[in-house]
Amino acid sequence: MWPFCISTLRSGIRSRAVLLILILGALLVGVAFLASAFSPRQPRTVTIDVGMSGIRFSLVLFAVFWVQELVAREVERRTVLYALAYPVSRAAYILGRFAGVVCLLAVAAVLLAGLLWFSVVSAGGHYEQGFGVQLGWPYWLAIIGLWVDAVVVAAFTLWIATLSTVQMLPVALGAAFAVGGKSLGAALDYLARGADGDANIMNRFGPLMQIIQWLLPDLSRLDWRIWSMYGVPLSDGTVIYGLALAVGYVTVLLSLAVITFSRREFF
Amino acid sequence: MRSAWRWPWQAIVALMMGCAVFVFAQSRLPGIRRAQVNAEIAIALPVFVQVAMAGGDRYLAASWAAIRALVTETSKMGPEDFRVLGVVQRDASWLNPAHEDNYYIAAAILPWEGQVEPAQVILRRATLARFYDYQPAFYYAFNLMHFTGDYLAASEWLRQAAPKLPKPDERLLLENFAARWLDRTQDVELAARIVDAMAAQAKRKDFADYLRVRAQRLRDLGVLRRAAIVYSDRHGKPLVELSELVSAGLVAKLPVDPFGFGFGIDPNGVPVLLNRPQK
Repeated sequence: MWPFCISTLRSGIRSRAVLLILILGALLVGVAFLASAFSPRQPRTVTIDVGMSGIRFSLVLFAVFWVQELVAREVERRTVLYALAYPVSRAAYILGRFAGVVCLLAVAAVLLAGLLWFSVVSAGGHYEQGFGVQLGWPYWLAIIGLWVDAVVVAAFTLWIATLSTVQMLPVALGAAFAVGGKSLGAALDYLARGADGDANIMNRFGPLMQIIQWLLPDLSRLDWRIWSMYGVPLSDGTVIYGLALAVGYVTVLLSLAVITFSRREFF
Repeated sequence: MRSAWRWPWQAIVALMMGCAVFVFAQSRLPGIRRAQVNAEIAIALPVFVQVAMAGGDRYLAASWAAIRALVTETSKMGPEDFRVLGVVQRDASWLNPAHEDNYYIAAAILPWEGQVEPAQVILRRATLARFYDYQPAFYYAFNLMHFTGDYLAASEWLRQAAPKLPKPDERLLLENFAARWLDRTQDVELAARIVDAMAAQAKRKDFADYLRVRAQRLRDLGVLRRAAIVYSDRHGKPLVELSELVSAGLVAKLPVDPFGFGFGIDPNGVPVLLNRPQK
């Protein structure tokens, strides 16, 4: 498994991905910095807020494109057969590739988070906010949450890549999954609060959402930026159950990916 | 041997037709009035749509809505625009109730333009989310006092805000305001009991004594008001001078205001507290 992981890392680093990270990171810093200029009272909080949204967006993009580049394209071009010619299981190939993408995402997360950290420190100039931001452990915990979020998206995209015979389908479905999973929390919250008293919405979507929440993970549960932005500590349950949700779902997806890839015929 | 090149007549005909349609449309358009576009805030999208447009990221959706509110030029906005602004900011507070800019702008703009209800919703949510910040509760209290005239609730919210202030002197100042706002309530007995309760909770003895004096002042006002009601029932006319209560035997003597401002009578003959020295 590890040779596949290392080869994925090498391929990822040799590709234009690193350059892409730097360009996207620079853009991210610029956008987050500009957004802070709109804030009259909390420029650093806004920088973290917009910056973390940018990091999440970037990591999800990386997850989807790296899986497409390093797995789906190999399958599509049949170059995967060279790798499978070695005496290794198909499961080792899939899990190794996934581990490689996870490591690449971690590198990207650290790079982007570092850039954002500097932009937060410099946002607002000499203006001191009434309530400061937390740039220590709470900041890095939020980054870990965003990374785990991207890992879940990568696992889903990988599963789609193992069964898809249509080019770019993994990318399209992976992106849709990322948006759907992240929106789920807001939708459930809206319905739980009575949908602004709209009985029609409650009747139409309430039962449907009850079913969907057992199929789609609520990725907003991995968004822990509030501690860094406002100093509101997270409960242990928030972090532990959020991580458990992600680990469980990734395990299911990887199992499905291994099963479908093991049964897949290339000719 | 290479075949002779031939003109792609079909493509050339399509090109010419396209040019003709474009030139025709372009020549006609200047005479057609543009649909009115309001440069300021005009649309409030449903919360679901806002979240979906932000890639499912509710914090980003909230930031985007707050920036929309920040960049609108209020001098160009009409009443309907302010209603939409209220909806946009209320949605932003639903997405991220702790957003500082959002509640700040809401407090600064919305109630002054008739949007008291959304402003209060935003401030109430911010008070809950930002449990360490005195300002949302302070603005909420001010709006209750200034826009809805609910002095009793305003005083209660001000008392909620006071302990969140960092300096003891500032806390004391806010608690003082809370006590003074109670002077303006119609139910002076209830106000007096609340001020007494505040005195019981005050840590500093001098401030507790001050609050007890305020409570006594309210009780004195209550005595005068009850006597004024009896007076107007008995004589069939409202009270004109407070001294009439003494001459009518309804009070033994007029109470002395410990703050020196004294008591007065409003145009309806109801005794009130004076809050500045009489000339």
